[in-house]
Amino acid sequence: MKMVGEFFKNINRNKVMLFMVLPGALWFLFFSYLPMLGTVIAFKEYRFSRDGFWASIVNSKWVGWDNFKFLFSTDDAYVITRNTLLYNIAFIFIGLILSVILAVILSEITNKRLSKIYQTGMFLPYFLSWVIVGYFTFSFLSSDRGLLNGVFESMGIESIQWYSESKYWPFILVFVYLWKAVGYNSVVYLASIMGIDRSLYEAAMIDGASKMQQIRAITLPLLRPIITIMTLLAIGKIFYADFGLFYQVPRDSGTLYGVTNVIDTYVYRGLKTTGEIGMSAAAGLYQSVVGFTLVMASNYIVRKFDKDNALF
Amino acid sequence: MSTRRKKFSLLLTSLMALTLLVTACGGNNNAASNNNASGSTPSKSEKPVELIWYTVGAPQKDADLVMAEVNKYTKEKINATIKLKMIDFGDYSQKMQVMAASGEPMDIMFTCSWAFDYVQNARKGAFMQLDDLLQNQGKDIVATLDPAFLEGSKVDGHNYGVPANKELPAQEVWRFNKELVDKYNLDITNVKSMESLIPLLKTIKENEPGVTPYAMVKDFVPVMPFDYVIEKLPMAVYLDTEDYKVVNILETPELKETLKTVRTFYKEGFVSPEVSTVTSVDDLYKSGKWLVDRASTQPFADNLWSTSMGYPIVSTPAGDPIIYNWSVMGSMQAISANSKYPEKAMEFLNLLNTDPVLRNMIDSGIEGVHYEKVSENVMKNLDKSKDYDMPTFAFGNVMLTYLNEGDPENKWDEFKKFNESGIDAPLLGFNFDTSKVSTELASVQNVKEEYWAALMTGTVDPDEYLPKAIEKFKAAGLDKVMAEAQRQIDEWRAATGK
Repeated sequence: MKMVGEFFKNINRNKVMLFMVLPGALWFLFFSYLPMLGTVIAFKEYRFSRDGFWASIVNSKWVGWDNFKFLFSTDDAYVITRNTLLYNIAFIFIGLILSVILAVILSEITNKRLSKIYQTGMFLPYFLSWVIVGYFTFSFLSSDRGLLNGVFESMGIESIQWYSESKYWPFILVFVYLWKAVGYNSVVYLASIMGIDRSLYEAAMIDGASKMQQIRAITLPLLRPIITIMTLLAIGKIFYADFGLFYQVPRDSGTLYGVTNVIDTYVYRGLKTTGEIGMSAAAGLYQSVVGFTLVMASNYIVRKFDKDNALF
Repeated sequence: MSTRRKKFSLLLTSLMALTLLVTACGGNNNAASNNNASGSTPSKSEKPVELIWYTVGAPQKDADLVMAEVNKYTKEKINATIKLKMIDFGDYSQKMQVMAASGEPMDIMFTCSWAFDYVQNARKGAFMQLDDLLQNQGKDIVATLDPAFLEGSKVDGHNYGVPANKELPAQEVWRFNKELVDKYNLDITNVKSMESLIPLLKTIKENEPGVTPYAMVKDFVPVMPFDYVIEKLPMAVYLDTEDYKVVNILETPELKETLKTVRTFYKEGFVSPEVSTVTSVDDLYKSGKWLVDRASTQPFADNLWSTSMGYPIVSTPAGDPIIYNWSVMGSMQAISANSKYPEKAMEFLNLLNTDPVLRNMIDSGIEGVHYEKVSENVMKNLDKSKDYDMPTFAFGNVMLTYLNEGDPENKWDEFKKFNESGIDAPLLGFNFDTSKVSTELASVQNVKEEYWAALMTGTVDPDEYLPKAIEKFKAAGLDKVMAEAQRQIDEWRAATGK
C-alpha cells in the first residue's frame, strides 16, 4: 500500500514533466506496446472469426513453433540470412564512412550558398520512393534501351544483360543504396559538426594546426557519440532488409535471387498468395528478437570500452 | 532494483486493464448492433440498412454521384443503401487480406480465383456460408445462373460466393494486330501451336525493326494439356487423365518440348530481351508495335479488343474451351463473415443479378449523363462515361447489361452456346486444402518465383535450368505437397464417384 502512495506522490511531484511525456508515451503504448500482444499470432494458425479481431486471435488454434519452420526449412534459409546480414553490414560501414566524409567536406565549404545547394542535391534522393529509384536504375541498365549498354555499344564493347547476370548486383545494390541514403545521414553528422564550439578550431589555428589535423583532433573525436548512436540504431535493424531496394530495384528478376533474396522478400514471396498471417507474424517476431539481441549485445560491448557513449 | 520491478509490473497491469477495457468495448458494440440487425430485417418502416461493399477496380470520379442514384433505387426496392468502396486491381488482394484479418466492418466483397483468393479465404473463415441465404433471399440468382457456376464454386460442399453469370469455360486464343497481318498477308488460319507461329514472327522480325513480334509478359505460361492443382505451381493432372495421377509438369516430355520452342522465341528476338521482368506490355498495345499475343476469349471478344485498343484485332484458337475451377470462380461476390446484415446483403445481390435497371446503373452510370439509350437494350457511351468506367465482369450477371452499339443482337445467346460448348476439366469441383502443407508451400512458392518466369519465357536455357529447378522444387518439399494433393484428390474421387 505504501508503494502505491509513493507512486502517486511521485506522479504529483513530476506532473508537468509527465504531462509533456504523455503524448509520446501514449503513441508508444498504442502503436508499439499494445500491438506486441499480437505476437501470439506467431504461435497460432490464424483463422477469421465473425466476432472481430480479438475473437479471431482467441479462437485460432495453437500450433507451437510450426509457423517458424518455413523460414528455416530449405537451403534458402542460409542464402537469405547471409544476404541480409552482409548487405546491411556493407550499408552500415560504407555508409558511415561516406556520410562522415561528406559531412566534414560540407562543413568546410565556406560559401554557404553552394554548401546549401550541395546539401539539397544530396538530400533529394532520400525522398524518392524505391519504385522510382527502380525505374532510374532501369533506364541505365535496360538491356536494349539502357544508357549503359548504349555507351558500351558505341565503344564496341558487348552489351550486358544486367537483369539476368547476378555477379554485378552486389555492387549495384550497394551503390544504389548509398546514393539514396548517404545524403540524409551526412546531414545528421553535419548538424552535430555545426554544434561544435568554433573557439576550439580558432585555438587550433592559432597553434598552427592544419585542416587535416583539425579534423582528426577536433571534429572526429567530437562526432564519436553521434556516430556510436547512429551505428547502434542501425545494428538493431540489421535483420530488416530494405524491401523496396531488394524487390523494386532488381525488378523482381528470378535469375538474380541468389544475390537479391533477403528475409523480407523471401517472406513476401512465400506468403503473398497464401496470406498466412501466422507465418508472417513469426517472421516479424524472429527479426525483432534477433534485432533486439544485437542491440543489447553491441551496446554491451560499447559500454565495456566507452561507458559514456553507450545508449543505456 | 526491486522498486523498478514493481513499477514495471504496475505498468503491465495497467496495460492489461486497458486492453480488457478496449476489448470489452468492442464486444459490446458488436452485440448491440447485432440486436439492431435482427430487429430491423422484417419490417420496412424502420431505418434503411447501409451495406458496405468492397469491390475491385480503379476508384471512379463520378462514383458518389452514381451511388446517390443507386441508393435512391435500392432504398425503395429493398430498404437498403450501398456504400461502395473500390480498390484498384493491383492492391485488391493485399488490402483485402489485411482488412478481412483485422475484422474491418464490411458486408459484401468481391472475390475470385485471381484476386483475394476465394477458396483459401473461404477456408479461413472470411466469408459467410451462403447455402441457406441462396435458397431464400437469393433464389432468383439460383434460377438465372448456369448450375455449373454454383456447383463449381463449392468449397467443401458449401457455397461461399455468388458467381457472376458470364462466360463459363476458358479458351485461349492467339490475338493478332490485324494491320500487320494484312500488310504482310500473313495466313493465320493454320496457326494453333506455338511452333506454327514461328514463320509469321520471323517475317515481322525481318521486316519491321521497331516492332516486338510477340507481346509477352513475365506471367506467360504456354498452353499445356494440364489441369493445375494450384495455378502456376508445377503440379497438375493431364486434361485427358483417367487415373487422376498428380504429376510434376517440369518432368513431363510435353513441357520440355514446349520450353525449347519458347527458348527459340527468346533467342530469335521475337520477345523483349527483358521479358522475365516485364509486367505489362501496355506501351506496345498503345503504339500498336506488336504482332501477336495470347488471351482468354469470349464470344465476340475481337470486337471488344478492337474497341479498347483502338485498332482492329483478329484472333484464332490456341486451345479448346475448358471449364476449370478458376474460370468458374472468375468473378464472385461474397458476404463477409462479420456482416451485420447478411439477409439484406443477399437481397441486394439478388437484385443486382436480376434487375437490369440496377445492374446497368452500377455498370454504366446515369442515363443521360454517362450513357444514352439507342434502343430498348442498346446503349451508347457519352463523353462523361470516362468518369465512370467500371469493370463490367466484376458486378454480377453480365447478361443483363445493355449491348454496345455494334454488338450483335444475339450476343448473350452466343454466350450461352459458348458456355454449353465447354468441356469439364478433370479437377472441376476439387479444391486443395493447403493447411497441412503450408510450410512447404511457402518454400515452394519461393522456388517458383525464382525459376518460373525465367524458364517459361525462354530467358534461360531449359537444358541447364530445368534440372536445377526440379531439384530445388524437390528440396523445398514439392513431393510432399503433391502427395497430399494426391491423397485429397483420391478421397474426393471416392466421395463424388468421378
